[in-house]
Amino acid sequence: MSRRMKTEYGVFAVVLAVLFVLPLTGAASDNAMRIAFNIALYAVFAQMWNLMCGYAGLLSLGQQMFIGVSGYATAVVCTSYGMPFVLGLLVSGVVSALLALFLSVLLLRMRGLYFAIATWIVSEMIKILFTGWKLVNYAGGMTIRVTPYPTLSQQFMLILALAAASFLLVQAMLRSKIGLGLAAMRDDPDAAAGLGVNIFKMKTLCFTVCGFVTGIGGSIAYLNRLSVFPNGAFAIDWTIAIVFAVIIGGTSTATGPIVGAFVYVLLFNFLSRYAGYSNIILGVIAIAVIVVAPKGIMGTLQNRFKFELFSSTRPSLD
Amino acid sequence: MAQAVLQGILLGGVFAVVGIGMSMIFGIVKLANLAHGEFFILGAYLSMLFAGQLDISPLLTLVIVVPLMFVAGYALQGALINRVLGMGDEPPLLITFGLSFILQNVLLLIFSADPQTLKTTYQLKTIVVSDSLIVPVLYLVNFIVGALVILILGLFLRFTYTGQAIRAVSDDNMAASLMGISVKRSYSIAMGIATSTAAVAGVVIGTTFTFYPYTGSEYLLVAFGVVVLGGMGSIPGTLVGGLVFGLARTIGSQVFGTNYQMMIGYIILLAMLMIRPQGLFSK
Repeated sequence: MSRRMKTEYGVFAVVLAVLFVLPLTGAASDNAMRIAFNIALYAVFAQMWNLMCGYAGLLSLGQQMFIGVSGYATAVVCTSYGMPFVLGLLVSGVVSALLALFLSVLLLRMRGLYFAIATWIVSEMIKILFTGWKLVNYAGGMTIRVTPYPTLSQQFMLILALAAASFLLVQAMLRSKIGLGLAAMRDDPDAAAGLGVNIFKMKTLCFTVCGFVTGIGGSIAYLNRLSVFPNGAFAIDWTIAIVFAVIIGGTSTATGPIVGAFVYVLLFNFLSRYAGYSNIILGVIAIAVIVVAPKGIMGTLQNRFKFELFSSTRPSLD
Repeated sequence: MAQAVLQGILLGGVFAVVGIGMSMIFGIVKLANLAHGEFFILGAYLSMLFAGQLDISPLLTLVIVVPLMFVAGYALQGALINRVLGMGDEPPLLITFGLSFILQNVLLLIFSADPQTLKTTYQLKTIVVSDSLIVPVLYLVNFIVGALVILILGLFLRFTYTGQAIRAVSDDNMAASLMGISVKRSYSIAMGIATSTAAVAGVVIGTTFTFYPYTGSEYLLVAFGVVVLGGMGSIPGTLVGGLVFGLARTIGSQVFGTNYQMMIGYIILLAMLMIRPQGLFSK
């Protein structure tokens, strides 16, 4: 580890520790905790979407399928079978990962645009299946009963741990041979394949990891929400929010998804007082960012000031 | 079943129009316009507005709605989408994704989430062919409107200078530009055509089914299905794609119930994407 990396991860560890201790001090209000929970939640989702779109070149518009399936998996495991939440969490992750693995076989041969639409269609199909499925109470939705029910602080710690883990996971992947293969694939897929990079395997791995982590995040999200309905669980709105966060924060940057999640949740919270207009304003901001600063906040800052946080694409500067 | 097949074919003519604009933009600008569904549903809402204000039939409002939507599409392409076309695949796609989100919420704000329909004088009239076969006049009128739109567009692309220029840009935009054709202007015209044909489809669908501000995304997937099935930029292909989706919907609804009416269409679409994403009728 270079000195620069030591400093970066040192700061990361300190910030994480402070955030972890924060709810124990009781200094944060319930409202602040809710905001913090959502920031960490979207940081998880955004991190995974960035892994797919920013590094593996897979633009997914179907993240809601993992979130929705996980919400229902949690409800079935915890409410229908009365199992502890940990089991619901694990089942959610595994089911989502298996779904991603299965879809890899079907969808990964498609080029960018077709893949994007195909993921959306699959989500719509899963929504239709769940709406007609007796086990999950058709369109009537399910409640999520977990005993003992974790406090908001505990939920926050859980999602914070996942956010940190997902960040470190993506970093570890990018620093390994996988990252090298992904970079080669992004620059020239044909040349990369010719030099022995197994593109299909790379993409499958990224998609499956994305399914697993997004699934666990979805499970925690629905632990927090307490009930799950097909229309909400499989709504494209999830993906819209995730895409917004990553674009604002900066695609293909390490810290972009976290910054984006921060900006998205705070902005959403601030705009919620302008009911009806808030989504329109969010949409306009997103388009403005794409046109004016397509690299997002972190991408633009890093370009302007010639630095790169948690660099994994080139040797450290020192 | 014969009834479902007949209605499916008639509906297919309209679905072809839902998809034709998307197909053009796909073929010419090489862009999947994710806001296409919202242009479609915007047409229905505009028609509702003018039909209510002027007390005329929804079909007559097309005289106002079509030029309006053309200008909107032309301006949108020129002012926004043309600016990000050189930046790779994702920015233009995400811009249209953002636009779809904005339009949806604008419609929600103005018209609320209440279900709407466009009322016509012929909506309940039928032509009885036999005991088991009835032709709803509404579906017939929709089909005729759809066929007319496709016919006019086909003639326009084949015989006018602008149409030929658009086809040239579609084939090779570099060569077209060397021949003195303005590529960006062709893109804008194509987008204008796409938005106005989408609006026509929105109006006729609006006379047949209830719609909400959210209905657009459902028809975006129909449009996409038509494009994928028919191949981008191919008019006969679009017709076939529309027919397949129309039939899939009415037969699916008959066999599996309304909850699953879109399922067959989605399955066909996914299968096509896996096997032959360039479409059945592409070059």
